[in-house]
Amino acid sequence: MKRIGRDAWLLLAAIPILLWTLLPIYHIFLFSISSKDSAFSGALWPDKPTLRNFGTIFRQEHFYLHHFWVQIWNSLWIAVAAGVLTLAIATCAAFAISRLKVKGGRTVMNLALFTYFIPAAFLAIPMYKAMGIYGLLNSRWSLVLAMVTLAAPYAIWVLKQASDKLPYELDEAARIDGATPPQLFRLVYLPLMTPSLVAIGTYALLLAWNEYLYAYLLLSHEQTITLAVALGHFIAADDSPWELLMATGLVYALPPAAIYYAFRRYMVSGLTAGAVKT
Amino acid sequence: MASVSFSEIFKSFGKTKVLHGISLDISDGEFMVLVGPSGCGKSTLLRMLAGLEDIGAGSIAIDGRVVNDVEPKDRDVAMVFQSYALYPHMTVRDNMGFSLRLRKEKQSVIDEGVNRAARILNLEPYLHRYPRELSGGQRQRVAMGRAIVRDPKVFLFDEPLSNLDAKLRVAMRSEIKALHQRLKTTTVYVTHDQVEAMTMADRIAVMNDGRMEQLGEPLELYDRPANLFVAQFIGSPAMNVFDGVFRGGFVEALGARWPVPHTRASDGQAVKYGIRPVHFELNKKQIQAEVIVVEPMGAETELLLKVGDQTLVIMTHGRAAVGPGEKIFIAPQAEHAHLFDAASGKRI
Repeated sequence: MKRIGRDAWLLLAAIPILLWTLLPIYHIFLFSISSKDSAFSGALWPDKPTLRNFGTIFRQEHFYLHHFWVQIWNSLWIAVAAGVLTLAIATCAAFAISRLKVKGGRTVMNLALFTYFIPAAFLAIPMYKAMGIYGLLNSRWSLVLAMVTLAAPYAIWVLKQASDKLPYELDEAARIDGATPPQLFRLVYLPLMTPSLVAIGTYALLLAWNEYLYAYLLLSHEQTITLAVALGHFIAADDSPWELLMATGLVYALPPAAIYYAFRRYMVSGLTAGAVKT
Repeated sequence: MASVSFSEIFKSFGKTKVLHGISLDISDGEFMVLVGPSGCGKSTLLRMLAGLEDIGAGSIAIDGRVVNDVEPKDRDVAMVFQSYALYPHMTVRDNMGFSLRLRKEKQSVIDEGVNRAARILNLEPYLHRYPRELSGGQRQRVAMGRAIVRDPKVFLFDEPLSNLDAKLRVAMRSEIKALHQRLKTTTVYVTHDQVEAMTMADRIAVMNDGRMEQLGEPLELYDRPANLFVAQFIGSPAMNVFDGVFRGGFVEALGARWPVPHTRASDGQAVKYGIRPVHFELNKKQIQAEVIVVEPMGAETELLLKVGDQTLVIMTHGRAAVGPGEKIFIAPQAEHAHLFDAASGKRI
């Protein structure tokens, strides 16, 4: 009886939360299958649902969508590059700090975490200047580097905590078995860290994919901006094509959803791995 | 196979000194057990031999070659850890063949080595399994298999049986001993369990507080402990020890006169009198005691007795027809009694 009571309470709490989350998504979906005329009708389901908006997007038939494929490619390129680079840096750092116990490792980690005391938005202008000095403005690399800078400290911290949990005897056994540090890294460390690596790689990838502020600042040319920035351009006009904006938004949301779905098994265990210091 | 030699080994962790000049020579093919309470430095000594811990001062030689600055992988030793330390993402076969794979041996050589070790340890049916699919005893055998495959000069065991239940521990004990008799590889085995030490060792080094208390064959340690620590550490149940004064060829203690094996102590000297629980005879009118607890174990019976204000443990063969509260007589066997100097704890 007590159990049923508790479950009922959970359900009561869960339903509003679920609705709160799903309503905006439903709203986006509704807009994206409506024609321009019926988009603001206020109905829960359009009279004549249509997929024409998606056709317009994929064929780049609207003024705001002339570079759709280039821009989504930019988004993808930047996200993957940021993910891979963050992962490479954070994994090596975590391995060195946690397993090789490099001198000063803790200091490096604390300094990295210290950067989070300053909100990312404050760093946007200095970052813009720095990229300008290096001549990287309007290059995809500028956003990749900025994203890696923002994602790496957290990634190092999570991976360090996760690798602290691997028994140290494994390293010692491998050393006695004849493994050099690179072999230890490749043959023992990486396979055992896979869940955390997947989680952190995805985290960095999605961080870059969803980034707006830095992308807006660092990239300005139609051909170099990401789709997130391009979506922002939609609302610059008085008469915004809301149905196309929503449909593009929906398309833009699909890859992250797919990635989350594919790696959901790793997400929970991986991202909470560093949550508790044991 | 090889000899191992520790000479004047010192080690500190920060300000804490953990080893105070240990010297120990282990001969080729010997089964040496380092035993002592936790924190006595025995594992540190083993880890130094493995190359996992820096040597503070002194030198360690394997087969005559000083290995102080030699990498673990180049020392040709194999180690079995308390936690097994099996690679969780590798099958038993890959775990066992890992060292050969790192040496870039041919696949046929790796297979042959793994199969040979698996045959010795009865692991053949489990070669394709992962460590998580094995029982504790099987995992322990895989850890040993990993060591055997390498055919090292020295086997190192760091409390390998501590994680097993009592029954399995006894079984694995015999397996390790049989393995040593078969392979005759020099072995250094660390444990805090004196029963393991007694049953397995060719020689035992008893350590305490970073020092070696005594080195010798198991029965030598049992029969002639060099000091109080060894006397009470080796043997189960532990030796009875109490204060007394040597006078007129006896030790006066607990209101009685206790017989001694020799009269090397000087008259009036304060001593500790030690006698093992098995070295008493019952019902021989000598010293009166009160029975407190009777613990029948089938083949023998353990009696907890009170003499004066001291409790003594006595083991008798067979069954004892006494109950708590009863008064009985006990007679210590003089030839098995031990005398220690009360101040230094050293054997007299």
